[in-house]
Amino acid sequence: MTLKRWSLTESSAVQQRSRQEVDMAFLAPSSLRQLDPGYDEEKQKRKTNPKSCKLVCLGKRKKERVKAIQKIPKTMKEKRELRDHVLTEKTKARNRDAQINCCAQCFYNTALSFRQLKNGLSECFQFFHLWQKTLKVIGSQFGTSVCSYFVFLTWLLMFNIFSFLVNFSFITVPQLLEAKANNLSFTGLEFFTGAGYFTETVLYYGFYANGTISENKSSSPYNMQLAYIFTIGVYFVLCFLSLLYSMAKSFRRNFINPSMYSGNAAKLLCVWDFSVTSEKAVKLKQRNLSTQMKETLSEVNTEVLKLSVGQRIAKLSVHLAAWLVSLGAAVASCAGIYFFSTANLKLFLKDDQTELESEAVTLVLPVVVGLLNHMVPFFYSFLGFFEKFTYPKHQIYTSIGRNIILKISIIGILCYYWLNIVAASEVQCWETLVGQDIYRLIIAEFICCLLGSFFGEFARRIIGTKCCKQLGVPEFDIARNVLDLIYAQTLAWIGIFFSPLIPAIQILSFFIIFYVKKVSLMMNCQPPRKAWRAAQMNTLFIFFLFFPSFTGVLSVIAVIVWRMKPSETCGPFRGLETIFAAISGWIAILTTYSSSLWIVWIYHNLLESVHFFFILSVIVLIITYLYWQIIDGRKIMVKLLQEQIVNEGKDKMFLLKKLRALQATGLPDPGEQRERHSSVHQMPRQQMHSSLPNYIERSPRTMERDSYAEPSGLPETNGFTPRSSAVPRRTSFSPQSEMTSFSQAIPGNQHPGRTTGASEALALALRARQEAEWETDEEDFRS
Amino acid sequence: MGNKQTTFTLEQLDAYQDTTFFTKKEILRLFYRYRDLAPQLVPPDYTNKPYVKLPYELIGSMPELKDNPFRQRIAEVFSEDGEGNMTLDDFLDMFSVMSEMAPRDLKAYYAFKIYDFNNDDYICKSDLEKTVNKLTRKELTPEEVNLVCNKVLDEADMDNDGKLSLEDFQHMIVRAPDFLSTFHIRI
Repeated sequence: MTLKRWSLTESSAVQQRSRQEVDMAFLAPSSLRQLDPGYDEEKQKRKTNPKSCKLVCLGKRKKERVKAIQKIPKTMKEKRELRDHVLTEKTKARNRDAQINCCAQCFYNTALSFRQLKNGLSECFQFFHLWQKTLKVIGSQFGTSVCSYFVFLTWLLMFNIFSFLVNFSFITVPQLLEAKANNLSFTGLEFFTGAGYFTETVLYYGFYANGTISENKSSSPYNMQLAYIFTIGVYFVLCFLSLLYSMAKSFRRNFINPSMYSGNAAKLLCVWDFSVTSEKAVKLKQRNLSTQMKETLSEVNTEVLKLSVGQRIAKLSVHLAAWLVSLGAAVASCAGIYFFSTANLKLFLKDDQTELESEAVTLVLPVVVGLLNHMVPFFYSFLGFFEKFTYPKHQIYTSIGRNIILKISIIGILCYYWLNIVAASEVQCWETLVGQDIYRLIIAEFICCLLGSFFGEFARRIIGTKCCKQLGVPEFDIARNVLDLIYAQTLAWIGIFFSPLIPAIQILSFFIIFYVKKVSLMMNCQPPRKAWRAAQMNTLFIFFLFFPSFTGVLSVIAVIVWRMKPSETCGPFRGLETIFAAISGWIAILTTYSSSLWIVWIYHNLLESVHFFFILSVIVLIITYLYWQIIDGRKIMVKLLQEQIVNEGKDKMFLLKKLRALQATGLPDPGEQRERHSSVHQMPRQQMHSSLPNYIERSPRTMERDSYAEPSGLPETNGFTPRSSAVPRRTSFSPQSEMTSFSQAIPGNQHPGRTTGASEALALALRARQEAEWETDEEDFRS
Repeated sequence: MGNKQTTFTLEQLDAYQDTTFFTKKEILRLFYRYRDLAPQLVPPDYTNKPYVKLPYELIGSMPELKDNPFRQRIAEVFSEDGEGNMTLDDFLDMFSVMSEMAPRDLKAYYAFKIYDFNNDDYICKSDLEKTVNKLTRKELTPEEVNLVCNKVLDEADMDNDGKLSLEDFQHMIVRAPDFLSTFHIRI
C-alpha cells in the first residue's frame, strides 16, 4: 500500500530511494506490512532523507506513532533511535508551528496532559487488577485454559463491583439518609433466608420510599422513583455495551477463520503454553503432548475405517435418545420446580404457623433448585458415556449445550412463577418476596458450588488415589464451573431490580468461590490432559453470558417495568399503574418548564415514537446486510488468495523443474549465457541490481495485461507492481528463497506457461537460473 | 515513588514506555526483577545508561523461564548478541513481546524466530524435529518424529518449498486462535 502511494506521488524523483524502500518492505514480514501501513514508513525513516521522514511522521498522531514503534520487531536500541529521531523532527516542526499559531501548542499541551492522565488512570486500574499473582501461579501450574476460568470469574467480579458502586451511591445512600428505624429482631438465620430482619432494610425493594428526599429546604429534592429507575436503566445499558464490546472483541480475535482450523501444524507449533512455568506441570505437559501426538498418528492410520449404514443409524439413534432424555430431564426438573414452588407459596401464605416454620418453608425451594442444578449435569455427563463421540470437541459442545438449556429453562420457569403467580397472589409486597427468593437462590447456589468442589474434586481425588487407582487425579471441569458462574450472574442481574444490593452478596460469594476453587484446584486437580481451545471457549462463554442470560434478563426487566403493576403498599413505585408511569409523570412535569423542553422532545419523538424505532431498525438491518455482503466478498477474496498461494507454489516448482532440465541439457547458446553470468558475478551486488531491469521492466506490464485479461485477477495486484524491482536483492542465501521472491513478484502471473509467451517464460527461467547459480556460488564460497 | 527519580530519568521512562507495551510501574517492576537476578552487577542507578549485560545462565534461571524447554532460544532471540546475554533493554523487549498487549503479528514474528533454531529464516525439517523433541522430552521414536514433521509440513507449507517461511507461519497462526493466549508470559 505504501509502495503504491510512493510510486504515485513521487514516481519521478525517487528512483533510487524507492528501491531501498522496496527492499525494506521485502525484508519485513508481509502481513505486518499489510496490517500496519505505518510500519515501513517508520522503518524507512532512517534510510530516507529528512524531508520525506518529516512528511511521514507529521501525518501521524502521537498515539499511532507510538503504536507503530512498539510494533516493530527490532531491538530496543533501534526502536529508541527511531523514536528519538521522530521526536526531534516533531519538535522542530512544532517550533515552527508555534510561531504561526499558539492554538496548536495549546492543543498539543492538552493532548499531552490528557495522555498523562490516561497513563495515570491505567496505572490506577493496574491496582484493581486483582490477583495478578494468583492468576500467574494458576497459569504456571495448570495452563491458560484453567486460568481462563479464573479470569472470567474476576471479570464477573468487576461487573458486580461496578454495579454495587452504582446502586449503592445512587439508590441506597439517599435512602439511608432518611431510613426508618428497624424494629425487627435479628436471629442469624436471616443470612440464609434473607427474610426477617433484612426485610425492613435497604436490601430490598419494599423498603425504598416513593417520595422525594431533601436534607434541607434549600437543596433541590432527590426523587427516589427516578433515581431507582434511571440507575438501574443506566446500569443495564452500560452492561449491554460492555458485554457487546467484549464479545465483539473476543470474536474478532478468536474466530477469525474457525472453519479452516485444521489443527495438526498449529497443534505442534502453537501448542506450547509459555505461561506454564512449574517444573512438574512442564513435565506433565510434555508427557501429555507426546501421548497426544501418538494418538494423532494412530488416528491417521485408522482413519480409513468407515461406518456401515446400520452402524450409522444406531449411532444417530443413540444421540437422538440421549438428547430426548436430557431434554426430558430439563422439562421434568422445570415442571417439578413449578409445582413445587406454587405449593410452597400456598404453604407460605397460610397463617397458621410459627415464624420459624415459615422461614424453613422458604428455604426448601432454593435447596431443591440448587440440587437439581448440580445433580442433573452429573446425569448428563453420565449420558455422555453411552454416546461415543468421534471428536472430543463434539462431546464438549453437546454437554455445554445441554447444561445451558437446563439452567436457562430453570431460570425461565422461576421468572414465570415470580411474575405470574407471586405478583398475582395476595402477598403484601411481592417485589420484596421475589427479592428474598433470589437472595436465597444465590446463597443456595453458592453453597452448592462449594459442595460441588468438595465432592467433585476433593472426594473424587480421595477416591481416585485411594480406592480405585485407574480413575486417577481429577481434572478441573472448566465448562461446568463456568456455566455455574453464568447461572449465578443471571440470577444476580434479575435480582438487581428487586434488591439493589444483591451485587454485594454476589461480590462476597465470588470472592470466596475464587479462593475455594483456587485451593481446591491446587490441592486436588491435575492440569488438563487434552488441549482445551481456551480462546474459542472463552468467546463462547461471553456469548452465553450475553445471549440467553443477559438478553433474557433484559426482557424480564422490560416486562416488569412496562407491564407489571407494582405493589400498592411498598416500594418506590407504590400507587402507580406501571413502573414506567413514573417516567411519563416526570415528563408531564417537565413540559411546564421551558428550559427542559428538549428532554420532552426527545421523549416524545425518540423514545415514545414508533416511527423512530422503525427507522432505526431499518437502518440497522441495512447496515447488517451490507456487512454480511462484505463478509461474503472477503471470504471469496480469502479463497482466491489462498488459491493464488498454492498456484505460486506450483509455479515455483514448475520453474525449478524447468531450470533443472535446462541445467541438465545445457542451454542453446551457452556462450552468451556464461558471458552474462560471469559479468554479473563479478559485479558488486548493488551494481548488479541496476543491470537487471531490462528483464524486470517487462514484468509489470505483463502483469497488467494479465490482470486485464483475467477478470478474476484481484485489483490489489497492481499494488504489487513496484515490488518486482526489488527481486534482485535479497538477504537470504538459498536459491529456494530466491525463487520464492521471484514468483511472488508476479502474482498475477499464475500460469506462466499458459498466459505469457514462451520467450517470456524462458527469460524468466534464465534469470532464475542465473541468480540461483550466483547464490549457490556464494554459498560455496561461504562454506 | 522516590526510587523512580533515582533509577531512570523521566525521559528514559518515557522512551521505554514508547517502545514497549508497559506502563511506568511495570517497567520499574521489571527493572527490579532484572536487578534481583544479579544485584552486584546491576547498578540501582540507570540514569547515566551503564552498559550492563547479564549472562544467559542468570537469565535462564528466572522462574518464568527456568522450566521452559525453549528458554535458550527465547534468550538468544531477544538478546542483541544472539547468545542469550541480555541487557536491560533486551530484557524489557522480551517481556514486552510476551505481554498480553503485544499484537498477533509481533508475537508471530518472534515465535517464528524462536522455532527457527538454525537462524536461516525458515523453519525447516530439522527445526521441526528439534521442536518436537523439546515438546515431548524425546519420548517419540525418530520415525514418529519424522511422521509428525512431515504432517506439519504438508499442512502448513502453502508454497511447497519443503519448509515454513514466515508467511506460512503467520498464516497458520491466524488459524490457531489460542496462540495469542499461550504465547504469553505473565510477570
